[in-house]
Amino acid sequence: MTSAFFGLQTSLRGLLTQQQAIDVTGHNIANANTQGYSRQEAVLEPTRPYILPANSVNNGSGAQLGSGVDIAAIRRVRDQFLDLQYRAQQMSLGDASARTTSLDKVEGAFAEPTDDGLAAQLSRFWDAWSDVANAPENAGARSALVTTAQTLTASFRTISAQLTTVAQQAQDEYAAITGASGDVANMASELAGLNRAIGDAVFRGMQPNDLMDRRDQIIDRLSQLAQVSVTDTGNSRLRIDFGGVTLVDPSTPAGFTWPQTLSRTPGGKLGALADLAAATGPALTYRTQLDAVAADLVRSVNALHTSTPFFDTAGTTAATITVLATTATVQTGSGRASGENDVAQAIARLRSGTTDQMYQALVARIGTEARAAVRGESTAQSLVDSIEDRRQSVAGVSLDEEMTNLIRFQRGYQASARTMTTMDEMLETLITRTGRVGL
Amino acid sequence: MSMRVTTLMSSRATLRDLNDGLSRLTRLQNQLSSGKQITRPSDDPYGASRALALRGELGGLDQFQRNVDDGTGWLNTSDTALGQMSDVLARVRELLVQGGTDTAGPSSRAAIADEIDQLTESVKQEADVQYGGRSVFSGTATDTPPYVLGGADRYQGDAGTITRAIGPGVEIPINTDVRTLLGDGQAARDDKLLNTLRDIAAHLRGGTTADADALRGTDLQRLDANLDVLNGIRADVGARTNRLDVAASRLSGLALNSTKLLSDVEDADMAETITQYTTQQAAYSAALKAGANIVQTSLLDFLH
Repeated sequence: MTSAFFGLQTSLRGLLTQQQAIDVTGHNIANANTQGYSRQEAVLEPTRPYILPANSVNNGSGAQLGSGVDIAAIRRVRDQFLDLQYRAQQMSLGDASARTTSLDKVEGAFAEPTDDGLAAQLSRFWDAWSDVANAPENAGARSALVTTAQTLTASFRTISAQLTTVAQQAQDEYAAITGASGDVANMASELAGLNRAIGDAVFRGMQPNDLMDRRDQIIDRLSQLAQVSVTDTGNSRLRIDFGGVTLVDPSTPAGFTWPQTLSRTPGGKLGALADLAAATGPALTYRTQLDAVAADLVRSVNALHTSTPFFDTAGTTAATITVLATTATVQTGSGRASGENDVAQAIARLRSGTTDQMYQALVARIGTEARAAVRGESTAQSLVDSIEDRRQSVAGVSLDEEMTNLIRFQRGYQASARTMTTMDEMLETLITRTGRVGL
Repeated sequence: MSMRVTTLMSSRATLRDLNDGLSRLTRLQNQLSSGKQITRPSDDPYGASRALALRGELGGLDQFQRNVDDGTGWLNTSDTALGQMSDVLARVRELLVQGGTDTAGPSSRAAIADEIDQLTESVKQEADVQYGGRSVFSGTATDTPPYVLGGADRYQGDAGTITRAIGPGVEIPINTDVRTLLGDGQAARDDKLLNTLRDIAAHLRGGTTADADALRGTDLQRLDANLDVLNGIRADVGARTNRLDVAASRLSGLALNSTKLLSDVEDADMAETITQYTTQQAAYSAALKAGANIVQTSLLDFLH
């Protein structure tokens, strides 16, 4: 037979457990808007029963009498598979948005189609030659031609310089992120610290939910930069491979190793930046193609302008193209007569020729690739959003749910208190009223 | 099991929708204010390159128009000068017939010869006509007058051709070789106009029977032959002016067409864009209103 006070203990456990569950609910509500927070759940479990010995019940056997409730664990509700998917998509998004930003700058450098773009300036250059052909004797027309040509070459040089800057900026950003005090280094050192704290807590049998949330959040951010893979090495301490090298390793004294050289295709934002900075990357490829346009212009005009080169023959790239001709040396005709315009006429005929066509093809290519990047980014963004929605659906805090839980646990607390009151009244009956027969 | 909807989810979704709505509105606003549906190549890569090609084409057509205008001016100047020469030659012919008759005495013949000398100079003066500071009849030596007034009758220009581009790959010569008409004077004995006129004056002054015969016979024939050459040249100039006129109207037709194509490719359709803008604006304010309601309401509002 149990003690008269047994029921009080059962009620007390109920009270304490419901109170703790309310504390967990309160924690959830407080973090309803915290980024990266996973909702927590108090797992309730009946406590070990009181064993009544044989002959305790009517049929002569023993029995087990329930002794109340306790909290088995405070669990973090999270789906690791969604984390994996999320991180894979974060990587694509990091790649796509770095590309979009960069190609956006490239498009800005070309400023097409406007009246100030290179296409319009080429058109004005051919116009100027036609004007010279119409008035070969006129020094004014020749001087206008030289000025127009100088503006054109200046534009070539500006665009070329801007493309170089775009590639250089990608290089600089890569260096800043991967530097000794960059984002990667900071995140790696924080992850190593979290690994130690989590490992210690798990070793002592606790589940450090909030530390784990923090660690997952950092891994999410890391996954935007490059390919990340995670392996549990025991006690919930993670080894993290980043862009093909081991970044965080709990078995090493420091817990992480950085700086390191990433593999050739780290993926993510760093992969995109490395690609954008490379000589084979979009910005420098466009610059090479712009060089080809400049070289074609220099070659085709100089081939007709035979007296002295119109453009400096040494400058056959967009960065070096230079007008050599002056108002005095502009050649209008093949002979000496002042009214001859066959050369000017022939150069004016180059309008809509290979130079213009090469340039238009270049603009179309940039447009196509920039559009593909924009679309890639929006696709990656919507995939990330949809996985994040599913993650939030599992791990996020629903205030309605928490309110319901709050009522549930509050009622549970009230009921436990009522049980305790009942026990108290029973004891009062026993202590103050019993044995007073005839008094 | 249906999807759990959590607080952060609905606020994230609201924020995302608002952002999308706002970026669509901004894009339409940009199209409306610029009037262009292509503001950068990535808006429509094919359209952008086509717009560039069409703009180039249009620029070329404008330039060809200007070339045609310049060529027409040049040919009109030539035609006026040749017309004047034609008038002069008509007067010469009148004087020649008058001087060739027996009734004309030596003094009146000398007077006629003086007038013919003046008329010869005025022919040379017409040949020296300029267009925009350039001698139109000197071939490509446009800074040199073809004949020196009051000097020798030798042609000073060259045989070069001046052309104007009036279309892609189409060039038309605009100058006229006046040497085939005027020649190099008496010294060259080429029977051209100046040679003939100088001979007529000499015959009028000569007074011999042979001179009188020449006046009535060969001189008249030679003058008529030169008149034929002049008429041929004028017809040629007229034909070229016509060609330029035709080219001008064709170019303006092409320019109109290219402008329309460019506008189709590049310009925003205002009616459509404004409609889209209004629709997006309504959608955006609806999203704002819904967001305000969704984000605020929870079970919390109904518990006391």
